[in-house]
Amino acid sequence: MNQYLELFQEQRALIDSNSLPLLNSCREAAAEAFARLGFPTKRVERYKYTDVASAFAPEYGLKLDTPLSQQTIPDVVASRYGTLADVNDDAITALNTMLAQELTVVHIPAGERRQQPIRLTRQLHSTVPLMQNRRLIVVVEEGAEVSLLMSDQTDDDQDFLTTQVTEIFVGKGASVEVYDIERTNARCHRLHQLYADVSAGGRFLHTSFTATCGLTRNTTNVRLSGEGASTELLGTAIIDGQQHCDNNTLIDHAAPGCKSHELYKYVADEHATGAFAGRVLVRQEAQQTESQETNANLVCTPWARIYTQPMLEIYADDVQCSHGSTVGQMNEAALFYMQQRGIGADEARLLLKQAFTADVLNLIPFEPLRDWLRNLANRRFEGDLNHCRTCQLCGPTK
Amino acid sequence: MLQIRNLHASVGGKEILKGIDLTVKPGEIHALMGLNGAGKSTLSYVMAGHPAYTVTEGSVTYRGKDLLTMSPDERAHEGIFLSFQQPVEIPGVMMFNFMRAAINAKRKASGQEPIGASEFRTLMQEKRKLVGLDSRLANRGVNEGFSGGERKRNEIFQMAMLEPSLAILDETDSGLDVDALRIVGEGFNRLRKEDTSAIVITHYQRLLDYIRPDIVHVLIDGRIVKTGGPELATEIEQRGFDWIKETL
Ligand SMILES: Nc1ncnc2c1ncn2[C@@H]1O[C@H](COP(=O)(O)OP(=O)(O)O)[C@@H](O)[C@H]1O
Ligand SMILES: [Mg+2]
Repeated sequence: MNQYLELFQEQRALIDSNSLPLLNSCREAAAEAFARLGFPTKRVERYKYTDVASAFAPEYGLKLDTPLSQQTIPDVVASRYGTLADVNDDAITALNTMLAQELTVVHIPAGERRQQPIRLTRQLHSTVPLMQNRRLIVVVEEGAEVSLLMSDQTDDDQDFLTTQVTEIFVGKGASVEVYDIERTNARCHRLHQLYADVSAGGRFLHTSFTATCGLTRNTTNVRLSGEGASTELLGTAIIDGQQHCDNNTLIDHAAPGCKSHELYKYVADEHATGAFAGRVLVRQEAQQTESQETNANLVCTPWARIYTQPMLEIYADDVQCSHGSTVGQMNEAALFYMQQRGIGADEARLLLKQAFTADVLNLIPFEPLRDWLRNLANRRFEGDLNHCRTCQLCGPTK
Repeated sequence: MLQIRNLHASVGGKEILKGIDLTVKPGEIHALMGLNGAGKSTLSYVMAGHPAYTVTEGSVTYRGKDLLTMSPDERAHEGIFLSFQQPVEIPGVMMFNFMRAAINAKRKASGQEPIGASEFRTLMQEKRKLVGLDSRLANRGVNEGFSGGERKRNEIFQMAMLEPSLAILDETDSGLDVDALRIVGEGFNRLRKEDTSAIVITHYQRLLDYIRPDIVHVLIDGRIVKTGGPELATEIEQRGFDWIKETL
């Protein structure tokens, strides 16, 4: 940890000169928070399933001298920077705020409806171990609509660490869809924090699809702050080998009449580890809340591990909430039935895996992407995703 | 065609089959009758290669090949089809994909090209009509939400699609009302090819009114204790099994 604080102190001038005043103005407080919080250990409840320290074990290089192109940030965006992602709340958020130099801005003015998704493809490429700190802010004003297609990939068999902090502001009656597709290598460490605030009548959909990963921790915090806001969190993780995927979500019902629906599905094969912790908080003022949270897991070997922890915390009385999780193995009777019909054991397993993830993919409203992800999942289950390393997320709208 | 010799099999450490001998020739229909717990389903599972059942003695030869060393899918490719007593539900696996995978696996095993999409669709439509399953079948999960009768019809439909040389029907008649029984029975006759052999496991005469057996066997406590012609089934229908036990 000290090494990152030292780096920050020593390279402060270089960092600042290749960044924006807006980001620079927040670094000092972030560094203080990071020094105080330290890396989360497994004793920290929210991080008990992910060994964050191991993600920082390799000696990463950082590129701090990339010149920034001219960028003017609208006031509505600038004034919100760092307001959701509280540096005092999380060490990764603090570290990211301390070091991030670039800011990706998506700003959709009131009433504007984007038909085509905005693509943000991140391709990690390096010959030496590399750390990258990414920062995004998305401001979608009243009645506007947008969807974001984020693709996270690695090109080289190298140690990578990415921290990413995303702040999303969904205006009144606005609609935001985020599709986050990860296809990184076994040596990639991904620590992502997403914060969304949904105003009255707004809608926020987040889809996370972990096709391949090394060590991944996705934190997704959604606050339903205006009456009648809604959110849907959909997740699929297909993990094998030594892969580790941890999704930690918080849905904060802070206003009346809001709806949330959450469904995460994991298929864990070989020695993979999956973790899901989903907290739904229904505050006292959040009457007429409707919330449904499900985590279902398919564990394909005796060595794969799943930790699941759905949590419902209700302080209002007029609510309809349900939550639950399941961990199951391959249905042996179904496998035998399929084999009796002539289907080989491997293909039978494949069909069961596909079937298991089908319902969460069916919920994706953006049809071209839904088909594309089904296909991606099938190829993944067939074990031939590596043939497609250079294929970017080009399918959906081309 | 099928030769079972002195077959002993156990499950969970308990011996269930205690020396079965059975020979089935091409085109023959055998009925296998016996009380609950006699070992009828065990015999069908053992023939299909269910991993929970262990053969401790004896042999099963099918068309000159040793069946017992084959995996369940290889046995299916050889032409063995089991209509399950309790067909399992496989949520999310669509009948269309399931059936196509089954047909293509069989084709592959015999060196044939995969079936064309439209040819497959036509075939599926033709066969499902014969057992009275409607057009939604293709897009339903395997047995997902099917009624008992639908499941049994689905078994016969699959048999028709796969054209086995030996069909084992394990209590395909149980839980069916008279209409469903007729559909299944007539469906089987229409969908069966001439040289298809069958082992029909049942408690009752009523399915045998449709599927007329050449030979009837009685299985008690893991052994075939009596073998006769079709009249044996009628006699059992009238007198039950006790008189057979008494003669032992
Ligand atoms: N998986 C199993 N584990 C333990 N015992 C079993 C299992 N399957 C069948 N049996 C036992 O084997 C005997 C025969 O069962 P089964 O073959 O199903 O009979 P039938 O089909 O003639 O009614 C019964 O006593 C049953 O309890
Ligand atoms: Mg039985």
